Amino acid sequence: MEKIFQTDSAIEVKPLYTPEDMVEAGFDHSRDLGSPGRYPFTRGKDSTGYRKNPWIMYQYAGFGSAEETNKRYHFLLDHGETGLSVAIDLPTQIGYDSDNPLASGEVGKVGVPISSLQDAEVLFKGIPLDRPRQISATFNSNAPIWLAMMIVLAEKQGISPQKIGVRIQNDILKEYIARGTYIFPSAPSVSMATDVIAYCAEHHPNWFPLTACGYHIREAGANAAQEIAFTLANAIAYIDDTVRKGVKPEKFISKIPVFFSCGMDFFEEIAKFRTMRRLWSRTMKERYHIDDPNLLSLNLVVFTAGSALTAQQPMNNIVRVAVQTLASAIGGCQNLHTCSMDEAYCTPTEEAVKLALRTQQIIAHETGIVRTIDPLGGSYFIESLSNKLEEIAKNYLREIDETGGAVKATESGYFQRQISKSAYELNRQIEEKERIVVGVNEYVDDTGLPIEILKVDPGLERKQIDSVRALKKERDNVKVKQALRELKRVAEIRENIVPPCIEAVRAYATVGEICDVLREVYGEYTGASHF
Amino acid sequence: MVTKPIRVLIAKVGLDGHDRGAKIIAKALADTGMEVIYTGIRQTPEQVVSTAIQEDVDIIGLSSLSGGHEALFPRVVELLKARGSNIRVIGGGIIPPEDASKLKKQGIAEIFGPGTPTKEIVRFIKGACQEPVRDEESKMLKQIDHIGIAVRDLEKSLDKYAELYGAKATHTEVMESLSISIAFIPVGEVLLELLQPLAPGKGRIGEFLEKYGEGFHHIAYRVDNLDRVLAKMKENGIKLRDDKPRPGADNTRIAFISPEETGNVLTELVESKKL
Repeated sequence: MEKIFQTDSAIEVKPLYTPEDMVEAGFDHSRDLGSPGRYPFTRGKDSTGYRKNPWIMYQYAGFGSAEETNKRYHFLLDHGETGLSVAIDLPTQIGYDSDNPLASGEVGKVGVPISSLQDAEVLFKGIPLDRPRQISATFNSNAPIWLAMMIVLAEKQGISPQKIGVRIQNDILKEYIARGTYIFPSAPSVSMATDVIAYCAEHHPNWFPLTACGYHIREAGANAAQEIAFTLANAIAYIDDTVRKGVKPEKFISKIPVFFSCGMDFFEEIAKFRTMRRLWSRTMKERYHIDDPNLLSLNLVVFTAGSALTAQQPMNNIVRVAVQTLASAIGGCQNLHTCSMDEAYCTPTEEAVKLALRTQQIIAHETGIVRTIDPLGGSYFIESLSNKLEEIAKNYLREIDETGGAVKATESGYFQRQISKSAYELNRQIEEKERIVVGVNEYVDDTGLPIEILKVDPGLERKQIDSVRALKKERDNVKVKQALRELKRVAEIRENIVPPCIEAVRAYATVGEICDVLREVYGEYTGASHF
Repeated sequence: MVTKPIRVLIAKVGLDGHDRGAKIIAKALADTGMEVIYTGIRQTPEQVVSTAIQEDVDIIGLSSLSGGHEALFPRVVELLKARGSNIRVIGGGIIPPEDASKLKKQGIAEIFGPGTPTKEIVRFIKGACQEPVRDEESKMLKQIDHIGIAVRDLEKSLDKYAELYGAKATHTEVMESLSISIAFIPVGEVLLELLQPLAPGKGRIGEFLEKYGEGFHHIAYRVDNLDRVLAKMKENGIKLRDDKPRPGADNTRIAFISPEETGNVLTELVESKKL
């Protein structure tokens, strides 16, 4: 039997692409490509590319405590990081203070614990909020709280919000689908997410209130076409809900970036980024009848694929990340996070994270990538692949529309089933050596572990717990109670909860306390467990 | 021989929601014919242990990618121990090698890092779950219940035991159905059971005495659940003298295994109702 060559998304590829393939695909230059900065934005978000500025360089960081993490932020900014990406620990992400028994053993493990504004203040000590080009954070189920913290913190630092680039993840649907840090049932959760959008549209129109995430869906096992389609479907759900709240799509649609993974299938990933920009602008134009093409250009956030990292021969990961960085830049991303080589073992060490940042800097400054926009535009192969991806993604989108949209598809487990299927198939291919992963199923050698592992000081959890307890005693508890009562009232009448969240945060109410009030009003989501 | 499928609980402990690996393992194990239960995410060690015991699993596979393994994996082992369970525990996820060896010392049978072929995990589980069966079998025999000795004259024998050791019978009984009269002499936790036929040559003991003379007759092991033990033996094709439990002396239920199965040692299984 002849060997079939296919991409990660199971798209069969030919040994050679020629102008005939373009004709066959019905490729139309002005319709499908156009110019960078022009509809449909296949070739790039703006007309200047990276000439003015390379992409924003991020390293996802947070561990131990706000104090430890603050040191890491200073270190990264001093070494040339231009975006600050706040990794939040799991208890905070699911609305538990560090002193909650359910948080035990998880405080400060995968991110920084932020139980209250006090922790956020320590986190940004000596870092004016306008120093990085952008600040992002992984708040999803309780994103209004982070928005409130950024607002109050900006006030306290005396910096105009206009000068700050805030980007919040705030994508709860993918938490049910892939990542798991949900708290509340889907309906109130989506409403909280769109409260953030609505509030920012009115008060902070330059901020990015929600990042539609395909990354986690891909990491959970989806392929590139599913990543495109599911992300877009989720974004549509948020936009629809925001519009239902009376906010015009023109007011916020350009402030919803897409957050994608970049895996090892070099050409498919490049095609994916281009396809996403094009399908995004086409979809938004058609669905929301937006006339101003400037509002249709997608802001693309990329993170190199954690799932591509191997625990075996971890140094190999440096090479993988470099390749992914190059693909992301060729694909024209606006922001890029690079993984550190030790992440199949732990939160990165200082050395490893610096190397990941240097990887971005080397690609940006030494390869010439910043000189020319969309260098692979017009490639027979890339354009054919882009068109094919768009076609498959549209089919998925149609399926999701037929099931009643992303919220319904999430509730019915449609996404989860699709992802599990792809994940299992990928794993099968690796186990049967149809796909080679160096050091894992080929070129295996057991030379031990030559890298250093970051150990989070276990004493930090104790310290953090004590600090939360002390805060709960020392603050003005009358004010806290008042603020929480007001939050409850607003949540009950289903009005925008951001304003009362701001007051609660200002009074140093904790994330746990705020979420407890909302749990009372909204109830809790209990997960499903199909495999 | 029909064997029961291995039952596996795949569990996500802690707050971490990354379950791609857990789901792939669950599906891969199910594909090999194991019965797999997946807990879903965000389980406490207490919940995992309750589910495992309730579902009567042979092995638990824990997954954590958040660093929660350090505290949570050993806690599961502890809780299992506290509940007297011998369910094995294995783990996987983002676990540095140093932690892996520490966890093994704390009672986790094996740690499987990222990229471990599922076949390797299947092999391990199959190996590990045969051992618990052996374990269960050795635990099947709770203790020696009694040693049966055939005697011609019960009275005389009792006098002899009294004279030799100062030992006295605590219970005597006549079992008409078996044509024997018996006496029990406790020795530590074990009983000596002296058996005398009601008439010379009568019943099994009578025949035994005619053939072999006085002496050691059988050994009896105590089991918890005689029905289950017999069922398992039947399933494994072991020849039994008693297919079903029958009433034994002193309010017990008993069954004999055919001596050819046990190296010519006549073996009785006893389930005491006074457990």
